[in-house]
Amino acid sequence: MLTLREKRARRIAIAFIVPALLFFLLLNAFPLGQVLWDSFQLKNLLNKAENGFAGLANYAEVVKAEYFMTALKNTVIWTVLSVAGEYALGLVSAIALNQNVIGRTIFRGIIIIPWVVPIVIAGMTWTWMLTPDYGILNIWMVKLGIIDQPYYWLGELNTALLTVVFVNIWRSFPFFTISLLAGLQSVSRDMIEAAAIDGAGVRRRFWHIVLPQLKTVSLTIIFIHIIWTAVNFDFIWVMTEGGPLHSSETLPIMIYRYAMQEYNFGQASALASMMLGFMVAGFVLYYFYATRKNRG
Amino acid sequence: MKMAKWSMVLISSMMLASALSACGNGNNETSSSSTNETSGTNASATEPAAAEEAVTLKFWSALDPSSDQGKTIQQKVKEFDDSHDKINIDLQVISYDVLHDKLVAAINAGDAPDISWGLGEWFGEFNKLDALADLTDAFNAWPEKDKIYPNVLEAMQVDGKLKALPNYLGIRALLYHEELLKQGGLTEPPKTWDELLNAAQSFKEKTGKEIFGIAGAGVRSPQELIMYLAQNDVVLAEKQADGKFKNTWLDNPDQLAKAAEVFRFYQDLVAKNAVKADARTWGWEEEDQNFVLGQYAMVVNGTWIEGRASENPEGMKDVKIAQPIYGGKPATFMEIAPLFIYKSKHPEETFELATFLMGADYQKAVNPSSAPRTDVVSEGWGKQFMALAEQGIAYPAVSLGGITKAMEDSLALALLKKEKPEDVATQLSDAINDSLKKNGELSGS
Amino acid sequence: MLISRRKQRILTIATYLILAGFTLYCLMPFLWMFVTSIKPDDQIRTLNPSFLVKQITFGHFDNVLNNSAFLTFFKNSLFIASVTTVAALLISIFAGYALSRFVRFKGVKLFGVAMMLSQMIPGVLLLIPLYLVMKNVSLINTYASLILAYTTFTVPLCTFMMKGFFDTIPYEMEESAEIDGASRVGIIFRILLPVSLPSLVSTSLFAFLNAWNEFMFGFVFINDESHRTLTPGVSLFKGLYQTDWGSMMAASVLSVLPIVLIFIFLQRFLVEGMTAGAVKG
Repeated sequence: MLTLREKRARRIAIAFIVPALLFFLLLNAFPLGQVLWDSFQLKNLLNKAENGFAGLANYAEVVKAEYFMTALKNTVIWTVLSVAGEYALGLVSAIALNQNVIGRTIFRGIIIIPWVVPIVIAGMTWTWMLTPDYGILNIWMVKLGIIDQPYYWLGELNTALLTVVFVNIWRSFPFFTISLLAGLQSVSRDMIEAAAIDGAGVRRRFWHIVLPQLKTVSLTIIFIHIIWTAVNFDFIWVMTEGGPLHSSETLPIMIYRYAMQEYNFGQASALASMMLGFMVAGFVLYYFYATRKNRG
Repeated sequence: MKMAKWSMVLISSMMLASALSACGNGNNETSSSSTNETSGTNASATEPAAAEEAVTLKFWSALDPSSDQGKTIQQKVKEFDDSHDKINIDLQVISYDVLHDKLVAAINAGDAPDISWGLGEWFGEFNKLDALADLTDAFNAWPEKDKIYPNVLEAMQVDGKLKALPNYLGIRALLYHEELLKQGGLTEPPKTWDELLNAAQSFKEKTGKEIFGIAGAGVRSPQELIMYLAQNDVVLAEKQADGKFKNTWLDNPDQLAKAAEVFRFYQDLVAKNAVKADARTWGWEEEDQNFVLGQYAMVVNGTWIEGRASENPEGMKDVKIAQPIYGGKPATFMEIAPLFIYKSKHPEETFELATFLMGADYQKAVNPSSAPRTDVVSEGWGKQFMALAEQGIAYPAVSLGGITKAMEDSLALALLKKEKPEDVATQLSDAINDSLKKNGELSGS
Repeated sequence: MLISRRKQRILTIATYLILAGFTLYCLMPFLWMFVTSIKPDDQIRTLNPSFLVKQITFGHFDNVLNNSAFLTFFKNSLFIASVTTVAALLISIFAGYALSRFVRFKGVKLFGVAMMLSQMIPGVLLLIPLYLVMKNVSLINTYASLILAYTTFTVPLCTFMMKGFFDTIPYEMEESAEIDGASRVGIIFRILLPVSLPSLVSTSLFAFLNAWNEFMFGFVFINDESHRTLTPGVSLFKGLYQTDWGSMMAASVLSVLPIVLIFIFLQRFLVEGMTAGAVKG
C-alpha cells in the first residue's frame, strides 16, 4: 500500500509528464504504431490491387534486397566512425579550450559555427569545395603536394562514405566540445593538485583523474549521438544520395527509397521496424552488460 | 497539488492559444492573398466582394524566383489572375528538390493542388497513384490542340487517355566548344560513336583535355542512357498485348546484344580517354559545370546551358550546337516537363489556366527556346534544339522510381565495377521487370 | 606549481596550434560561403577558386533582401523557433523534474524509455504519417503544424537535459520549502529555476537551433510563401539546372549570422548549463 504522501507524489508525477506524453503519443507513438502495423501489411501505393496481411513477407523481401547487407554495414561504419571521430575531436578541442588561453571566448564561438549552419547548406558547400575541377580543397591539396592530381572524393566507391563521415564529424563535434568542456570544468581542482603533490605527471593525472570524471558525460553524449547518427538522413542524401553504387547508402536512405521513390510503405515500414529493433536490442544488451559489470 | 493542476491548465491553454493564434493567423493570410507576391509586400491586399464566388486554384510551380524567367512567369500568372474575375490563382514556388516529396505527401492525404509543375519521370507514378485528371475531352475541344508536337502528346497518354499537358521541353542536343575542337584538330564534331571513340585519343594528346562528357550518376544518367539505348534501337520496356509492359531483352538475343553494345560504348569512352575518369560518377551539376568551364569539348545537354553565359562568359563564348552523336540511328532524349492537373473540384477553371500556360503568348515570353508548341520557336539556340524534336524519345509511361535507380546502378556496374556489358544488360533487364512486377505493371503477371 | 615552466610553455604552444587548426576546420566552409556571397557572378564558379576577392559586390545581398521573401522567411523562422523553444522548455521542465524526482514510479520510468525510443525513429518515415495527422486536424500550412512537430522532436532531449540538471540539486533544498507548505510548482519556479538559469539557457538554445535549422518538415507542411521558414527558403535559390550560388550563400550567411552572434553572446551560459546538467547525466 502506498502512503498518502506517495499517492500524492504519484499524482503530481503524472500531472508533470502528461504534456510531454501527449505530444509523444500524438506525434510519435501514433505514427510509430502505424509503422509497425504497416510492416505486416502489403502496402504499395502504386499497386493497390495487392493489399491485406503480409505476415513476414515485407521483412523477407527487405532482407533479400540486393544492397541490404551493404546498407547495414554502411550504417555501422557511418555511425561508429562518425561518433568516434566526433568524440576524439570534441575531447581534444575541449581540453584546449579548458586552458587559460587568450581569446577563449572567440575560439569557443568559432567552434560552435559548424553546428549552426543548416545541414543542406553545409552539405552543398562542402560538396562544392571537395569537387575535383573547381573545388578549392582539391586545388589546395594538389598545391601542397598531398595528392598528385585532383581526386573525386565523393565519386569513388572507396572514399564516398568516408568523405561524408568527415563532413558529418565537422558538423557534430561541437556538441561534444561543449559537453566535454562542461565536464572538464567541473573536475575538482583539489584532486588534481593532490595528485600532483603525490608526484603524478601530466599524462597520469589526465588518464587517472580527469578522464574517469568525464565518464558519465561521455557515455550520455555517445549514447545519444549513436542514435542520432544512425537515423541521420540529410547529410548523405544532400552529398551523395547514397552513391556511387550504394557505397554510401545507409538504412535511412534505403527507407527513404522504399517510401518516397517506390511508394512501398510496407517494405519501408518493415525496414524501419527492423532498424528500430536492432538499436533497441543493442542498447538492451549494453544495459545488461553494464549492470552486471557494476554488480561484479 | 492545486497549484500543480492550475499550472498544467495554464500551460495547456497557453499552448492551445499559441497554436490557435498561429493557425488563425495562417488562415487569414492565406485567404486574403490570392496571388502571392515574392516580395510579400502587397500580399495582404484584400479582394473585393466579387471574390466570394470566385474559385481559388492552387498552383505549385518550381520556377526560380530570382531569375528573369521566374519573374516573367509570376507576372504572366498575375495577368491571368487579374483578367479573370472568377478565378484566383494561389501560386506557390517550390523547388524541384522537394516538389516530388511534397506532391506525394499531398496526394496521399487527398490534398493535392489543382495544378502543378513536375518532371516527366513522375508521370507514370502519379498516374498510378490515381491522382491525375482525364483531360482527353477538354483537350480535344481546345482550338489550339494541333500546335502541340504530336510525339509530346503521345508521351502524355495512358491507354488512349490524355493524363497530363506539356509545360516545356528539355530536348537534348550536342553542345560543343568550337575553339577547343579546332585545337584538337577537328573542324566539326564527330557524328557517330565510332568516330567519337577514334578521335578521342589524339584529341586528348593535342589538348590535354577530354573530348566528351557524360553523367554517370544522378537523375541525368538514366536520361542519357535511354538516349543511347534508343540510338541503338532498344527500348526499356515495351507495351504488350495485354496493355502492360515488359522488358524483352532476355527473350531476344539480338536486343540483348544491342543493349550490351551501349554499355560497351560507355566502357570504351572511359578506356579510350574520351571522358574524364571522374565522369563515371558525375551528376548533372559536375557535367554542366565542367562543360561550361571548358574542361572538355562536347556534351549532350539542354538549352539551359545558354543561361550560364552570364556566370562564365569566357568558357561559353565558343559553344555551338549539333545533332547528338549516335550509334545505329539518330535519336535524342526529350525531357517533357508536364503540367500535372489533379482531380479537383474545378476542372474547367484549371484547364483554362492550363491552356493559358500552353498558349503562344505565355510560351513566347517564358519558354522561347523550349516551348512544346510548333509555332513558338526562337532564333538561335531554340531553333536548333527544336529541329531535333521529331527524333525525341521519352520514358515509357510506367512507374519509374525503381527503374531509373536500376539504370543508374547498371551504369555503375559497367563503369565502376567494370562488369561485362552482357551481364550488365542482363541484370538491368531483370531489374526493370522486377520493378514492373512490384507495381503490377508487368505484362503477363 | 602543478607543472614545470618548460612543459607549461610547450603545452601552451601546442594548445594554440590545436586551436588554430580547429579554427581553420570550423571556419572554412563558413568563410567560403561568405566570400562567395560578395563575389561577382563570373568569379564564383571558376577553375581557380580562391578565398581572395578581387572585386567586392553586395549585389547578392541586395537581391536576397529586396527581391526575395527572405525577410518574411526570417520572421517566420524567428516566430516558430521562439514559440517552440518556450513550449519545449515549459513541457520539459515538468517532465524533467518528474524523471529526476519520481523515477521510483513505474509509469515515470516507462515514460523515460518512451522518450528515448522516440529518438530512434528515422524522420523520413514520419513524413507521410505526420502529414496525414496535420491534415486531419487542418493544420497544414500553419505555423502551428511546425511548432507542434518541432516541439515533439525537441522535448525528449530538453527533458533529459533538465533531468540531468535537477539531479544535481540536492533534495534537501526542496524539503524545507515543502515543510513550509510551498506547492511543487512553486518549488520549481521559486527555488529550482532561479539557480538554474544557465541550464535553462543552454536547453533553450538547443530547442531554438533545432527548430531554426529543420528543413524537410518545414517544406512539406508549408505550402505558401508567407508561412515558409528560412532553411527551405534559402534552398529556393537552387534551381533545376542552375544554382544561384551568390544569392544562396548571401541568404545562408544572413540566416547563420544572427545565430552565431547569439551563441557567442550566450556561450558562457551554454557551458555552465551543460556543466550542471551533463556531469551527473
